[in-house]
This record gives sequence, structure tokens and C-alpha cells, in this order.
Amino acid sequence: MTPAPVSESPLPQEELTREIFGNISPASKLVFYVLAVVSLAVCAYGVWQRVRLWKLGRANPARSGMATALLQFMARVVTQRTVRGRGVASLAHALLFFGFCLLALGSVLVAIEHYAHDLSGRGATDPVFHFGTYYAVFEVTLELAGLALLVGACWFLARRIRSDTSIGHTAADSVILGTLIFLALTGYATEGLRILREDTHQPGFSFVGLLFAKALRGCGIGGTETGPVHLVTWWVHAVGALAFVAALPYTRLLHVVAGGLSVATQEKRLGHLEPVSAEEVEETGRFGVGRVQDFSRRQLLELDACVSCGRCQDVCPAHAAGKPLSPRDIVQDARGALNIVGPLLRAARTAGTDEDDATSEMPQLHGDAVSAEALWACTTCNACNDVCPLGVSPVAMITDMRRHLIGVGELRGAPARSLEKTQRQGNPWGLPKEDRMAWARDLDVPLVTDNPDFDILYWVGCAAAYDAHAQKTARAVVQLLQHAGVNFAVLGSEERCLGECARRMGDEFVFTELAEHNVGTLSSHDVKRIVTHCPHCLNSLRQDYPEVGGNYQVLHHTALLAELQAAGKLPTQDTVNGAVTFHDPCYLGRVQGETEAPRSVLRTMLPDAGALQEPVRRGKETACCGAGGGRMWFDDEAETRVGRDRIDELIGTGAETVVTGCPFCLRMVTDGVAERDDGPAVKDVAELLLEMVRVAREDT
Amino acid sequence: MKILVPTKRVPDPDQRVRATADGSGLEDKDLYYVPNPFDLIAVEEALAIREREIEDSEIVTVGVGVTDYEKELRATLAMGADRALLVETAANLDPWNVALALEKVVEREQPDLVLMGKQAIDDDSNQVGQFLAARLGWPQATFIASFALVEGGAAIQRETDTGMESLKIALPAVVTADLRLNEPRYASMPQIMKAQRRPIDRVALEDLGVTVAPRCEIVALEVPSANRTCAFLDSADELLDALRNEEVC
Repeated sequence: MTPAPVSESPLPQEELTREIFGNISPASKLVFYVLAVVSLAVCAYGVWQRVRLWKLGRANPARSGMATALLQFMARVVTQRTVRGRGVASLAHALLFFGFCLLALGSVLVAIEHYAHDLSGRGATDPVFHFGTYYAVFEVTLELAGLALLVGACWFLARRIRSDTSIGHTAADSVILGTLIFLALTGYATEGLRILREDTHQPGFSFVGLLFAKALRGCGIGGTETGPVHLVTWWVHAVGALAFVAALPYTRLLHVVAGGLSVATQEKRLGHLEPVSAEEVEETGRFGVGRVQDFSRRQLLELDACVSCGRCQDVCPAHAAGKPLSPRDIVQDARGALNIVGPLLRAARTAGTDEDDATSEMPQLHGDAVSAEALWACTTCNACNDVCPLGVSPVAMITDMRRHLIGVGELRGAPARSLEKTQRQGNPWGLPKEDRMAWARDLDVPLVTDNPDFDILYWVGCAAAYDAHAQKTARAVVQLLQHAGVNFAVLGSEERCLGECARRMGDEFVFTELAEHNVGTLSSHDVKRIVTHCPHCLNSLRQDYPEVGGNYQVLHHTALLAELQAAGKLPTQDTVNGAVTFHDPCYLGRVQGETEAPRSVLRTMLPDAGALQEPVRRGKETACCGAGGGRMWFDDEAETRVGRDRIDELIGTGAETVVTGCPFCLRMVTDGVAERDDGPAVKDVAELLLEMVRVAREDT
Repeated sequence: MKILVPTKRVPDPDQRVRATADGSGLEDKDLYYVPNPFDLIAVEEALAIREREIEDSEIVTVGVGVTDYEKELRATLAMGADRALLVETAANLDPWNVALALEKVVEREQPDLVLMGKQAIDDDSNQVGQFLAARLGWPQATFIASFALVEGGAAIQRETDTGMESLKIALPAVVTADLRLNEPRYASMPQIMKAQRRPIDRVALEDLGVTVAPRCEIVALEVPSANRTCAFLDSADELLDALRNEEVC
């Protein structure tokens, strides 16, 4: 290959542009084109291989269309919104992302210019659009993009060297980052050499390239050897870039494709679960995810989207409590299982042979990749789903795998008994259904049968029916409603467990049975509006029940109380003594996004704003008490209980009263506080409000 | 290995049970039955033997009672038993007569092991296992806390009032399960659906050649007085005072 002679700058000096493929011989160009095609083909093949693995999954539930996906892509990916929240790392990712995208876009524009002037027969010295102001903007933008990429990649590489344990590490990751840095440096070097070789008009637009040019001149380059050195450097850069493109789907950079797709098509509904079709279970004999191919295609895509960043693990309350659960590991281990059995499954499907026989010798999803202990440790607090920047839903995967465990009878002890009790007595405590109204003794609470023309139904829930502390909440709620003159009624002994807990434990059948029964009961009383003090009931009525035909307007009691206060119906007479802190229940604050109503009610009871001492983790970023997802029914030793750190955090606020808005949080926080000396009092918002409103009757 | 697991259905202990006005039995309206929890521990142990020790074991559960019993018996199939046998009788048998019926079932089925709950939680008689072993002339181990097959029989630990007793017994034998032997698995709806396809054989008590000769007679049932009150006391002294001076039962 003969390098082109050092040009005496064929471009008109007055025109601001640069010659594309300057100094590159036709032969070199040809080889480059062949390599580019090979590189893109290798990349496309790699992506296609992954797509074929995704297609092993079950058909997706109906999802949003292309337009929504595109909008979501612009709103979440292009803005880098989902990667925010990790300080410098988020900035570094944005730098890398924008640098990478702009450089890729720049290369495409250069290619278009190249084809345009070649096809129009104008030649490289007569650009179609690559000149003048456009060129100046282009050049400056790409210079900056290169810098952004370089800074981002260097920061990430430095972090890998410092080794942050919550982040997944492989040697390949460092190679990728090293390659990016190498590409940026060789890119600038090529540019510097071009500047030296061409004696470019206005090299100042390529300001980083100019610095490289000066440095190279300082090293003694600038004579006749400039052309060949430029060519060699160009080739090194070109081969590096093409290799990088080819390697993309085979490394963690696969998330560029899988993650982009995942985020764009994600239907982010915290606390929502996909229903199971009973017909399908009967037909296939399979329930939940027992094998990797039982995941939906969308879920298999999510496995590839995960970059092992560890955000989910950092916020996982079960992981913090030392349980054998890391949402990140669940996803990564399931991906490992997919990689192992995927090709065998594909072969079996092509040959029409039995899939289970084909993979029987291989590590299994359950037991080998994911342990039952890890799956049962989840509180379904949804922190992992919420924090994932790539649209992965570990909670849905965990619930699907729990469904399988339920289906094969792999649940024992107290939680298994709670499911049996729920079926028999309509409540997970297993207490007699005739005792469901025991909480309301001597309160004169109207039943739907006494007051069929009620405006709003008060859904009491099992906890308030059977748990002594939660009973106080229900007693407070009805007294406040009566005081405010609300026309309400309760179902009394007709009420049954909503099945929220059973559903999150994976027992879709117990849920469906209860839900159909409850929808029937609610319809028979023509219920339209419901108020409940239980965020789990709230979420279930809002997100689970529409799937079984139950559509109601459902309020958390704090929202109704805030509404009544705004209407002047519940004026407070007193203010709380001592500091107060509020513990946001996961299913209220994070899942249902209701963080303001309880605080607005609280504010009416405080002497001054300073009396509210908020914990560090609050609102949507709240921390789990440990009772969700059926964990309430697991027997845990006190020291291994999920949520212990949360109790410390609440006590650490120095508050004399911990206020919350969930009967399960109430129980867990009360139990946690009871272990400490002089712990704060724990109360529901309604309980405290009743004291401050000073309703005439004395609650006994 | 063939394992026979006799079971009984009992009223759900979580509900309120009421005696009939004449005290002859329980008010059965809305009475919800469950398999006796100790019997489920026995079923679980049989499944564990099949899973851990002898894979081609056959597990047969037996119920002695009314036709309705099929529902609770089905739960043992949902857990994983291979088949079930319902010995139908409308009579409310006492432990001795249940043992007579089971003796005939054992003769028919020829199991290598009879594994059953130590007692049913309704009348807490705790007699059938012992009667059955005596009538069969088989070794017995009651209240077992662990079970393992060994050369020539089974190694067993029994819970006693003074501690754990380790035994080795020859098979066939009658073994009754105590609470801590294991934690039974959960029989979920998909398994119950599958269990619908597994057979439940029925045989009338008379056809087994059993002549019922009651040895016990229920004279009357009554619900203990629920007339109790609770009081929160402030000190141990107050408690002592209450114990000494007030009617506390």
C-alpha cells in the first residue's frame, strides 16, 4: 500500500472544511469498507443471537406501541434520566453516553457526505455539506464529544481499579473502557497528524487535535514522515473502532441495545403484577417460571439489559439484613442459566424434541442458579424496580419464580400455614371469621346492611380486624369519620382477605378465589368509593382488582383525612408533644406515590415545622419495614429480621413518636422498637389525629 | 417400599366449634374440616423417604369416615401421595374400631411401613397407632422426631418427657409422627388440580370384614365456659394477690 504523497492542500484555503479520507489511498479505503461491513455483520449477528434467545420466552403480555416506545426512549434514554442519582458516576455515564452517541452520529454524517459527493461525482475536494458553519459546529461538537467520552471512560476505569464491590466486575469491562480511551486518544492523534500534514485552514476549530499536533511537533514529527505516520495511526484507530463495534453485543455494552429497548418499552407500574391465566396453567401444567424459557420475552430482554450496576442490591432491604437475596444476582444468575441452556433449547425446538430432556444435564434455574431462600426473602418493596436504570423488574421475576415454587409445593412452615388459613378463615391469621368485627366493639360502626346508602365504604382489612395495634387504627378512623360526618359503612363479616399477600407470595389461585368472592360482595352492595388505612389493600384494590373486574375509586385514609381537614371538618385542638417522624410505607410512598397526604395531616398536629424529624430515606426512597410480600408470615429471628436498619434509622431521628400509615409497618416498627430501651411510641396517623382532634368519646 | 399413611379429618382448629344442644356431637353447619396436622407430618415424612431414600416408594393414604372425607383425602394426593383409599362408614368410630379397620387395610395393602400422626387434634386420643401395632404384632415407635432407613430396619428418634430416645426397629412397623419431625409442604391449587386425576379407591367398612363393636361412648360434649375476663395488672404483687384472693381458673 503506497501512502498518498503529502498533499499541498488541494482544498481552497478560503473554504472551511476537511477532506474526507484525506491521505487514504483507494486500496486502503477498499480494505476499510470490507472491514466495516464485516464489523457491522459481526455486530448484527451478535445482536441477532441474543434476539433469538429472547424469543425462547413466552409471548409478552400486550404492550405499548411504537409511538409510546419512541417517546419513552426520548424521555428516559436520551435525557439519561434513568441513570441519575449516583453523583459523579451518573455524570460520567452521561458524558460517555453523549460522547459515544455524538461520535457515532458524526461518523454517520461523514459517511453520508462521503457517499453524497462520491455519488454526485463532485469528489472529496468539493463537499456537499461538510463545510463552512456546519463544519465549524461539527468539528467543535465532535472535539467536545471526544473529550466527554475520554473523561467518562477514564472515570469508570478508575472506579473499576478502586473496585466498588456492589458493581459487577469482569476483565472484559476494563478492556472495553481501555478500548474507548484508546480510541479517543488515537482519534485525536490522527487529527493532530492531519493538521500537521494538511496545514489546515483554521485548525483552531479542532482545538484538541491542535494540541495533539503541537505535542507531536514537539516530538519531532512534522516532516515528510507525517503522511505515513498519519496513515498508520488512522488505520490503528479505524481497526480499533471497527473491532469495538463488532464486540458490542458480546460484552456488557449489549445494554446499549437491550437496555435501550427495555427502557423504551417498559411499562413502569410499581406494585403491578402480570396475571396468570388459569386455562394456560391447566393446559400446560406449568405455573410460574420454573425454567428460563418460562420467562416472558420481555423478561429475557431485561436479563440482557442488566449491566450489574448493583443499584438494586444497594437498596434491597433483604440484602441489607444479610438475607441470601440480591436482585442483581437473581437477574445475572438467570441470565447465566439462559446462556447455558439457550442454545440447547433452540436446538431442541428446531428438532422438535423435548426441551426438558435437552437440558436435564445442565444447571437448572431453580436450585442451581437461584435459591428458594433468596426468592422467599423478598418483601416486594419495589425499591429495586424503582431504582433500576434499565427497566428491569426483579420483583416480577421473583414473583414469577415464587409462583413456580408454590406450584410444586416448595413452601413450608408458617407462611404455608398462613396461606391455608387465608383459604379457610379468609384471613392469614387464621382467626375465626365470626370475630371479624371484634375491633369495633361498642363503637356503633354502620354495616353495609344497616346503611345501604353509604357514600364511601371503609375497607377494614384483616390486620385491623385481628391485630390488636391495628385495631386502634380502625377505631380511630371510624371515630374521625363519624366526627367529620362522613356517610360510610363497613362490610363486617362479609369482608375477606383481598389476597394481596397470597398474590405476592406467588399463590395466584388463592388470590383469584378471594378476589372473585370480594368483587361479588362489593358489587352486591354497589360499592363505588373505598377508603382503607392499609396501603397493601389500597394497591391491591387499585392494581390487582381491575384485572378481576373490580373497578373502584380507592383512597388511603390519610388522603381522605387530608381532604376532610381541608374542608375544615377535622380541626385539631392540640399539638403533639415532642418530635415526630414519619415512616413512609413502601406500598404507600413508593408504589402508590402518596407521600404528601400523610404529611399534610401530620402538619396540622405539629407546634412548628421543626417538630417533624424526617428520616434520611423517605418518600419514594423509603426503606422497607420487612413485612411485605408475605414476609409478615415468616418466622425470623429478631437479629435476622428485614428492616432492622430501618428501625435504627427511625430511632436515630430522635423523634418521640414514629408515625406511619400501614398496619404491617405499625406491627414491624412496634416490634422492632420494643427491643430497644426507651424506644419511641409508634402510631398510625389516624390514631394520633384522633388524640389531637379530641373527639368527645374516650376510646377504650 | 410401600408406605401406608392412615389419616383422619378434623374440624379446622381455627374456627369456633359448638356442641349441639343435646351434647351428642358438634354443630356441623359451616363446620370446616382439615386433614389432621399430625397426619400431614406423616405424609410429608413418607414423601421425604421417597425423595431422599427410596425413589420407587409407593405412598398410599387411607381415610376412615364419611363420603365427604374425599376432599381432605385429596389434599394428601396434592402433596404427592400416589393414591388414596377411603374406607366408608357413617359411624363415628372410636380408636379401637379405627385400628380394626386399619388392620384389614394393612392386610389388603401389605405395606412395609405404616406412618401416621401420633394423635388427631379433635379428640386427642393417641391410641390408634398403638392398637394397630399390637393387633398386627408389629414393632412400633411413637412420637418420632426423626426417621432414617438403615440396614435391617429404621433408625428412629422418639420424643419423650425426659429427652430423645434413639431406637432401631425392624420393618414392617407402625411409626407415629410428632410435631417436630418435619414441616409439611404446601398443597397449592395446581397440585390439587393435578391430584384430581389421581384415584381415590373406596371400600365400605363392612366389605373389609370389620364388625364395629364400640368400646367408647360419647356421653356428652360441651364447650368450656367462655365467661372469662382480662385485667392488666401493674405489678407482680398484684398478680400474687389476685391469685390468692380472687377466683382464678
